[in-house]
Amino acid sequence: MVTGKRKFNGVPYLFILPHLIFFIVFVGYPFFNGLYISFFNYDYLRPQATTFVGLQNYMDLFRPGSVKYYEFWNSMRVTLVFVVSSVPFLILIPLGLATLLNTKLPGTNAFRAIYFAPWVLSCAVISLIWWWIFQSQGGLLNYYLGALGLPTPRWLSTMPYAMITIVVATIWWTMGYNMIIFLAAMQDIPADLYEAGRVDGANAWQRFIYITLPLLRPVLVLIIITTIIASFNLLGQPMMMTRGDPRLPNGGGATEPVMLRIFTEGFVRPYQGSAAAMSVIVAIIMMAFSLVNFRLFRHQE
Amino acid sequence: MKSRLWTVCALLLVVSLLLSACGGAATPTSEATGNACGVVELQYWNPFTGPDGPFMGQMVDAFNASHPDIKVTMTSQGEYYTQLTTAAAADTLPDVAIVHADQVPTQAFRNVLRPMDALVAEMGISASDYPVGVWNAGEVAGHRYSIPLDIHPMTMFYNADLLKSAGFENPPTNAEEFEAIAAALTGNGLQGFDITGGFPVQQIFQQMLHQFGGTEFNADGTEATWNSEAGVKALQWMKDMQARYSEPNLEVDAELNAFKTGTVAMVWNGIWQIANITGDGVEFDGRATAVPQIGPQMAVWAGSHQLTLPVHKTVDPCKDQAAAVFIKYLVENSVTWAKGGQIPAAASVRASAEFKAIEPQASIAPSVEYAFFPPSVPGITDAFGPLGEAVGAVMNGTTSDIKGALDDAAQRANEILAQNRTTYGAAPQTP
Repeated sequence: MVTGKRKFNGVPYLFILPHLIFFIVFVGYPFFNGLYISFFNYDYLRPQATTFVGLQNYMDLFRPGSVKYYEFWNSMRVTLVFVVSSVPFLILIPLGLATLLNTKLPGTNAFRAIYFAPWVLSCAVISLIWWWIFQSQGGLLNYYLGALGLPTPRWLSTMPYAMITIVVATIWWTMGYNMIIFLAAMQDIPADLYEAGRVDGANAWQRFIYITLPLLRPVLVLIIITTIIASFNLLGQPMMMTRGDPRLPNGGGATEPVMLRIFTEGFVRPYQGSAAAMSVIVAIIMMAFSLVNFRLFRHQE
Repeated sequence: MKSRLWTVCALLLVVSLLLSACGGAATPTSEATGNACGVVELQYWNPFTGPDGPFMGQMVDAFNASHPDIKVTMTSQGEYYTQLTTAAAADTLPDVAIVHADQVPTQAFRNVLRPMDALVAEMGISASDYPVGVWNAGEVAGHRYSIPLDIHPMTMFYNADLLKSAGFENPPTNAEEFEAIAAALTGNGLQGFDITGGFPVQQIFQQMLHQFGGTEFNADGTEATWNSEAGVKALQWMKDMQARYSEPNLEVDAELNAFKTGTVAMVWNGIWQIANITGDGVEFDGRATAVPQIGPQMAVWAGSHQLTLPVHKTVDPCKDQAAAVFIKYLVENSVTWAKGGQIPAAASVRASAEFKAIEPQASIAPSVEYAFFPPSVPGITDAFGPLGEAVGAVMNGTTSDIKGALDDAAQRANEILAQNRTTYGAAPQTP
């Protein structure tokens, strides 16, 4: 075990034990079990039908022309479009808000609370709110657009509007969380750095670029990664707002995210093995995204 | 420090004891004493989380009041089939459960339901009291798995005030009347017939397909056949009606919300919308009636709630006997259920004076004789997925190639059907 010089101290391990137990039970075991059943034709209700199929579940997802191929990669494409169109806004808007609220102006506390408030609502609530705003029969947005003589698109049932509604709802819902983290990090930046900048004649924009941003980098990396992962996990908003519609002629829906596809495959259909294989592929893609992100930022340092 | 650690440990111990107490607690049963079953407790699950729930609750209360030896506890929940299948995995299924007709074979093959042939014979419930389609939906691989409770058909809702304003006293019963009314009431801010690009257009398509003489699948459910000439006619008719009389690209429920504003003459949706868009639900004379016959033969899309016995590792004969009494009671007293916006499946109940007094259910009821149900094949609802995509895509305008979309969907459905045959096999495992 340990060399005689240092006595093994078990107490710290006892402290992490409760979390470790929950981690193993609810994250560790399911992860490896998921990996395991992805090699089986698996249905938890029909043990007699559970057979080892090797890499078949993965190969099916890479066989063009098959139903699973189209449905899975369509939902993957939908999810990627969502990630690419939501993450920049979910970084830039909270960063801007945090910068504005990190000043000594009156009322900043009220604004902090207001911007953070949507985050405490559940996904179902915000989806319903935005559904009411966007829906076509007397919905708030089209009512006012119509009153102003502007075009009134079918927000929830035509593309690209259906995707836009989901992105807008998500930004409004989650931007407050990122904003609070940015704000906390900004308040850790020593005031004398800005003081020195001011003495050297740097204007507000220059102070932001040369002082705030570089010192925010570790937090920025963290937020980009957690936001990308959160966006990959998109599920509730399209389920409630568009139900994955509009449908596409080759199969799948134009706003059907990959998490909904996995749920359908594993719980609506009896293919938990195939659903597990899909989850593994999504996990690999998410890890690749995170790794690239880490590399990019480390490279700049 | 140390004492705090002990406190934490002690708390953990208490919590774990409590948790195990919750999980392992077995409700004491009074049936252990010889032949007498004593008071039998039954768990009864259903998906009635909407306005129909209280009507079912009334029936359960009435049953409990009149049967002192049986105590039924009803649980209504959403995300219903996920609940059922996970309960099956944990062997915590209820004693009686509602299952939709098209889900019966799937749940039978997935070891959620068990056959009830002997019990049905004892109950004295017979096929002759039911329309053929709805009764056959409960038979899987030669065994009876369910008893039909109700039939919920596609229904036509119309704004009687608007119809009157255009000189129409009665709702349409055929294609000519339907188009005449729709045409007369389209324009000037009105729509003759609103139809969406999502739910329930797949169901409307199925209905029109049958009306034009087609079917979704061949008889044994091995092949999709909706890309027939009848299928193309059906979808073309829907697309034409949308182009002439409906707003384009409506999302799910938008046709109902538009109807409620009083600017739409007719919509088609499930009978369960009665409370929402007729009577007190709207500020005009909103009414419901049977859908018209558009094609050469009459056909009506419908679903059906069926009563089933879920699987248990150890079957308790006392509970089965009590479940049989309860199921028979629900079927015979389904007039109460009809008030919630359903049509009783049993012809004897539909013929009763009590049911005939319930409107508009009574005047919609004759249409359930034309209801059709999918072949009794496990996973058949999966095979409907591509059909929903094709019909939704055409109605939403993401494609204009009707034949191509239906062909493509049929091909994908055939692949799903073949996969399902491989995984499910020929018959459910006998429990």
